[in-house]
Amino acid sequence: MTQPSFLVLSGDGINCERETAAAFRVAGAKTDILHINDLATAPETLMQYDGMAIPGGFSFGDELGSGQILALKIRHAIGPAFFDFIAAGKPIIGICNGFQVLVKLGLLPYPETQKRVVALAPNAQGGFTDRWVRLEPVKNSVCKWTEGMDAFDLPIRHGEGRIVFSDDAIYPELLENGQIALAYGEDVNGSHQRIAGLCDPSGLVFGLMPHPEAFAYQATNPSPQRDFMAAGAGAKIFKNIVTRLTETQKEKIYAN
Amino acid sequence: MKQKMTAIRIEIENAIPDRRLEKWAAEARASLNVPLAAIEEIKVYKIAGGTAKNLAAVFTDPVLQQAHFRNKEYKFLHGAPAFVVDVGFRAGVTDNPGNAAAEALALSGITARVASGSLYFLFGDFDAIGAEKVTRELLANDLIQKTEVYAANDFYARDRFKDVLLPEVIRTSDASVEKISLDIMDSGLVYLSRDRCLALSVDELKHVRDAFKTRPTDVELEIIAQSWSEHCRHKIFGAEIDYNGEKIDSLYKTYVKSSTENVKKARKLDWLVSVFSDNAGIVRFDDNIDLCIKVETHNSPSALDPYGGALTGILGVNRDILGAGLGARPIANTDVFCFAPPDMPLLAEEEFMPQGVKAPRRVLEGVHKGVEDGGNKSGIPTVNGAFFFDRDYAGKPLVFVGTVGVLPHKLPDGRAAAEKQAHIGDRIFMIGGAIGADGIHGATFSSMEIDENAPATAVQIGDPLTQKRMSDFLLEARDLGLYSAITDNGAGGLSSSVGEMAQMTNGAKIDLALCPVKYPGLKPWELMVSESQERMTVAVPPEHAKAFQERAARHGVTATDIGAFTDSDNLEVFYNKEQVACLPLDFLHNSLPQMKLKAEWNGGKPRANWSAETKLQDRTRMAESLDAALLQLLQSPNITSKEKWVRAYDHEVQAATHIKPFADGGVIWLKPHGGSKDNGVAIGCGLAPRLSLHDPYLMAQCAVDEAVRNVVAAGGDPDMCCLLDNFCWPDPVQSAKNPEGTYRLGQLVRACQGLYDICLAYGMPLVSGKDSMKNDFKGKDKGGRDIAFGVLPTLLATAMACVKIGTAPTSYFCAAGDLIYLLGTNSKGLGGSEYAHIYNVPSESPTIDLAGNIALYRKIRGALPLFSSLHDVSEGGLLVALAESMIAGHAGAKLSVPLDATTAFNEAPGRFVASVPAAKKGSFEKIFDAQPIGVVTADAQLLFNDMAIPLESLSFAWKKGF
Repeated sequence: MTQPSFLVLSGDGINCERETAAAFRVAGAKTDILHINDLATAPETLMQYDGMAIPGGFSFGDELGSGQILALKIRHAIGPAFFDFIAAGKPIIGICNGFQVLVKLGLLPYPETQKRVVALAPNAQGGFTDRWVRLEPVKNSVCKWTEGMDAFDLPIRHGEGRIVFSDDAIYPELLENGQIALAYGEDVNGSHQRIAGLCDPSGLVFGLMPHPEAFAYQATNPSPQRDFMAAGAGAKIFKNIVTRLTETQKEKIYAN
Repeated sequence: MKQKMTAIRIEIENAIPDRRLEKWAAEARASLNVPLAAIEEIKVYKIAGGTAKNLAAVFTDPVLQQAHFRNKEYKFLHGAPAFVVDVGFRAGVTDNPGNAAAEALALSGITARVASGSLYFLFGDFDAIGAEKVTRELLANDLIQKTEVYAANDFYARDRFKDVLLPEVIRTSDASVEKISLDIMDSGLVYLSRDRCLALSVDELKHVRDAFKTRPTDVELEIIAQSWSEHCRHKIFGAEIDYNGEKIDSLYKTYVKSSTENVKKARKLDWLVSVFSDNAGIVRFDDNIDLCIKVETHNSPSALDPYGGALTGILGVNRDILGAGLGARPIANTDVFCFAPPDMPLLAEEEFMPQGVKAPRRVLEGVHKGVEDGGNKSGIPTVNGAFFFDRDYAGKPLVFVGTVGVLPHKLPDGRAAAEKQAHIGDRIFMIGGAIGADGIHGATFSSMEIDENAPATAVQIGDPLTQKRMSDFLLEARDLGLYSAITDNGAGGLSSSVGEMAQMTNGAKIDLALCPVKYPGLKPWELMVSESQERMTVAVPPEHAKAFQERAARHGVTATDIGAFTDSDNLEVFYNKEQVACLPLDFLHNSLPQMKLKAEWNGGKPRANWSAETKLQDRTRMAESLDAALLQLLQSPNITSKEKWVRAYDHEVQAATHIKPFADGGVIWLKPHGGSKDNGVAIGCGLAPRLSLHDPYLMAQCAVDEAVRNVVAAGGDPDMCCLLDNFCWPDPVQSAKNPEGTYRLGQLVRACQGLYDICLAYGMPLVSGKDSMKNDFKGKDKGGRDIAFGVLPTLLATAMACVKIGTAPTSYFCAAGDLIYLLGTNSKGLGGSEYAHIYNVPSESPTIDLAGNIALYRKIRGALPLFSSLHDVSEGGLLVALAESMIAGHAGAKLSVPLDATTAFNEAPGRFVASVPAAKKGSFEKIFDAQPIGVVTADAQLLFNDMAIPLESLSFAWKKGF
């Protein structure tokens, strides 16, 4: 049986590609870390992958707003191949800066219309913060990445993570659709309804501000654990999607 | 420099107020005495050379922002503004937002130049003088930014969207080379050195004349000045010193290098891979990877532009790691700041503050932001650091920045990654940013004291994006085997990097006309010595040159072939094929006569000069009761929580931070970096500058001991521990201008002797170090009086030790009922303590028991499973260490031994507060020969003598921060 394969994007100031790829590998996937300029020379190769990750970092130094220029670059340099990939129902995760990119591309919350109704504004308290925070998966969420998860802890490390909607009707609609995937256990950045992560209506396009790849092992838990090689809470997010893809492939094989 | 070319202007209005601006307004009210009610910001971009229909889509987020292309009167919640301040970069200053915007436009096929800036709207009832003050102190730095302050009406009366100009560097100088005669009188040589910012002495210039040429070219003279600068050559550390009549042949050889050699021999160490020879020390603590570590200072640039200085400092030390061996991957940053207290100056102190130096609070905020952006935007976690405050840093702040990196033992092609060797015929590539006039004379400038005339070109802003791209590219090229040697382009620019690498083959030849430039008009000598940031020099075998260049282009990195390594014995420099310099390498690197200096030590002296209590407000108080003193100490800037500052640093990117930077030492897990599964490395730091007033010998040892205790508390192995020394001294060379030179050099000798003795006693090798010797201010105070003063003689010790992941106790109390122990000898002296600094009390020096300490550290390492918690006793002494263990653990403590001020607050080295489960009492006491001093309780208070202090009060005082 083939392992699901993930493309992990790098370059232009993305800086969490190595740990993001490692988290996918631990979950059982194959990964390629690919520089965006390499992908731009052959965008059609993207479709060979089963999923994609846009990792955290400071693409283009956060200038013009975090994620802004990388989003423009994906639109111009990768173009249709990228949007076809999403339309084909392949899973994609945007973590922190990657979430900001998905939002600025208009892929969240509505990939079909790409209408811009949500933004990640500067934190209400002003400035970057690195802290661990309790996260609560939202009960009715359709998110495939957080399926079956109870509350867990992850670090947040951002200066622009405060969810803002263009009008008041958006939140109830997204909640109703099951597109609110994750909420913070407390107010950490002024985010609307403490939202930490959003997904598209299919649950396959997922963006979140916290860093699941930073808690793949207990070794990075701020409360010391003797069993440091045991899985951290973040590992489950990668495991969920890899398992899902593996099952789908199995079904396909049986069907044949 | 003038402005030309009209352009499009865009103003960006935010829908959501920016909290950062509220903080600035509060800051203005508190420290500038300007009743600034609020600030609002509108970002401005000016675009020259291209246009597009859809500019708003490039520059705004439609949910958060609105773009304006024509005059508009903004409506703000605070009513009408009193003043509007227009801020933009000066011509030639690195404009990161502008450059990124130009890249964004290029994505849609628009080639344009973009300049960024801001409009600040100031609200409140104050006059133009107040607005100028806010502008100068808070909104902009005059050295790098141009500002215009308008009354609101005047501002709106202008058509600001017409005749839009971008700052542009216009240099009319041609590429000519001048010959400079050294056959002149001594006084002429003095002027020559000063006017050209050479920082060479008359004797050194005479040596150039006699051993090289009477009429060198300006290029040659500049190369010599960079190579021989104190910053690059460390002439004082290498000098022959007459110390109280005894001859010392180089402090470096006698105390630093020989301590490592002797430790290595005595302990038969096999893990020292490279020490003192490369850009960083390299050690082998792991079966798969090597670790390199380097700590640098960036004091002079940080004094002039705190943000830019610290940012270029952190990016610079990252490049040292990228240039260590065949290129290491940075995995952690450290930062230590020595500043004047953040609440200085009190009103009465204002007139005594040095002119032309930023206020302490501005230095703190700026440097902190620089380190934040430098680390966060590069994806390197900041895992350890310290803040130390003392008024004697008001003239020159100290900014120490460090980086740890990893190297595989072997590269894919089988080469040892720690060894580099350029070959004859290898091409010389300059990679990274282009060259500008920024950063000319950084090396020589930092080799002089600061005065009001410091060159603006010595100030730069770093560009983390360019460096991150270069770093990604280099690590890929390394693994592809595309280059044979690499070094950082730091102080002295190409003159140092090419000049030093040329020694590998005994020659190099470059053509400066090939170098990419930010703008035309740079003279050959400027190209040669410019320290424009984010550049490295790489030796590429000719057969790989094409592939190297192609991979660079793919990463968006500029790589330029500027010459080749030769065996000509010379550094040959051309400009458009015409030779502009030819320097024999032997003359350049080995001919400089050793400096001869005099040093004396007859015991310490109290503080003198500007900060003597007679001039500045006496802040010391009468002694108080122990509980009152404890609460006072907990809120002292040297002790209080730094959490809010530390949380602004990303301390866990790369997903390998095992112990976060809120404990004693940070720990990085090495498995994610290719190391063994359970292996880690702890990093700690120590400094004790106030002990320099008593005896720098003890100061140095207390600094090292604190760094070592940091890593021991984090589970570090004292037998697998290396050290770094970073000296920052006030000018120790005696002269008419510097009457204290002999005494200061005596202090330096004492510090080196202390360092040597503790390294041998602890059996720990020094693997890297640096010294910065001109940390003085000479000029006028704000009252117009002449002042000259130096920093406290400061040694920063950094320790890096091997750790088994998952074995370290916490740094805070974990369980009620655990017994509390004080480990180590409780020496008595209050000298150098924060208590003695705050209260007017007699202070004797503490003592240090080197043999006892290291024996204790080895025992701790062997008995880690017995501990619940372990925390080093440092600033504030025993009671503060107990309070910190309680606050972080939300626990109480009850002491069973009586305390007096001396036992409660002395900061003698070698001690820890530990907590141990009662069930392990027997086995613990058998090993440590100690008696409990108390017990951890569930009751939220600290009980000692007949006093009870609620945990809440301790916590409130400690969390006050600054």
